Amino acid sequence: MSPDKFEPLDPVIHAQVRLAVLSILVSAKKADFNFLKNLTETTDGNLSTHLAKLEEAGYIAVKKTFLGKKPLTTYSITERGRTALAHYVKSLEGYLPKAKE
Amino acid sequence: MTEHDAKEDLQIIKAMLEKTRKSTAESGTLFIVWGVLISLALVGNYILGSLKLYKWEWLNWIAMTVIGWAVTVIYSIRRGRSEKVTTYVQIAARHVYFSCGVGFLLVGLVFPAIGAYSYEAISVLIAAVTGILFFALAGIFDWPLFRGLGLLWWLGAVGMSFTGEGLRTLIYAGLFVAGFLIPAFLIRAKFRKDQSC
Repeated sequence: MSPDKFEPLDPVIHAQVRLAVLSILVSAKKADFNFLKNLTETTDGNLSTHLAKLEEAGYIAVKKTFLGKKPLTTYSITERGRTALAHYVKSLEGYLPKAKE
Repeated sequence: MTEHDAKEDLQIIKAMLEKTRKSTAESGTLFIVWGVLISLALVGNYILGSLKLYKWEWLNWIAMTVIGWAVTVIYSIRRGRSEKVTTYVQIAARHVYFSCGVGFLLVGLVFPAIGAYSYEAISVLIAAVTGILFFALAGIFDWPLFRGLGLLWWLGAVGMSFTGEGLRTLIYAGLFVAGFLIPAFLIRAKFRKDQSC
């Protein structure tokens, strides 16, 4: 396969933190900010920026509630995000040797 | 994007799925709670039997069931509120726990109480439902040990249906220790190990 035949990758997902977040949310109905932060091993500011980009693209949904008196923000993947991630993984296969055979 | 980058991306996806699975591993708390309650109820039954107070045995089982369900509901609500993440695996497992819990309630209390069958059949049917619980959880959490335990409980159920009261109780007690209490503590140990990783 020549490079021009490679399927272009979704730029929204093509960043390590955003890919990691979508990978977590694809197996979870919901996850809170701290859970995502711990698993992606990133900083508050960095994660917030990436989450905003995913939300802006409509790939994740944000829900703000309260746990007692503390605010609790949870994130979930949308149908659009799920489709985009599946498409991204399929596109990645094109870059691997097995897919070329 | 190079082949190396593609592999790295796939590695990230795999690592995140694995980390999520480990972070939401089954704690085994409810298994232990039910295990302790059933053990206490078995001891209670033994004491009542020794004192020839057979007519109070039903109260012993009802008390165990009510306490068990109350603890389960309170624990589940509190955990649900404070949970940082809810995975589809957890949701599936909760549905299995709930359905088997209802199954225990029906075959252990409701049906015998309305005279659908003799009280002697309770342990056989409870063992059959326990087999379903373990076999279903084996599929959800991908635990081969639980698949074996499911089969063990079903074999036990068949075995108990051919035996008299004394041997049936002995088989049930053996199944309970080997097929419920020990796995409950194994789940707990696995959970602690997963959490510390």
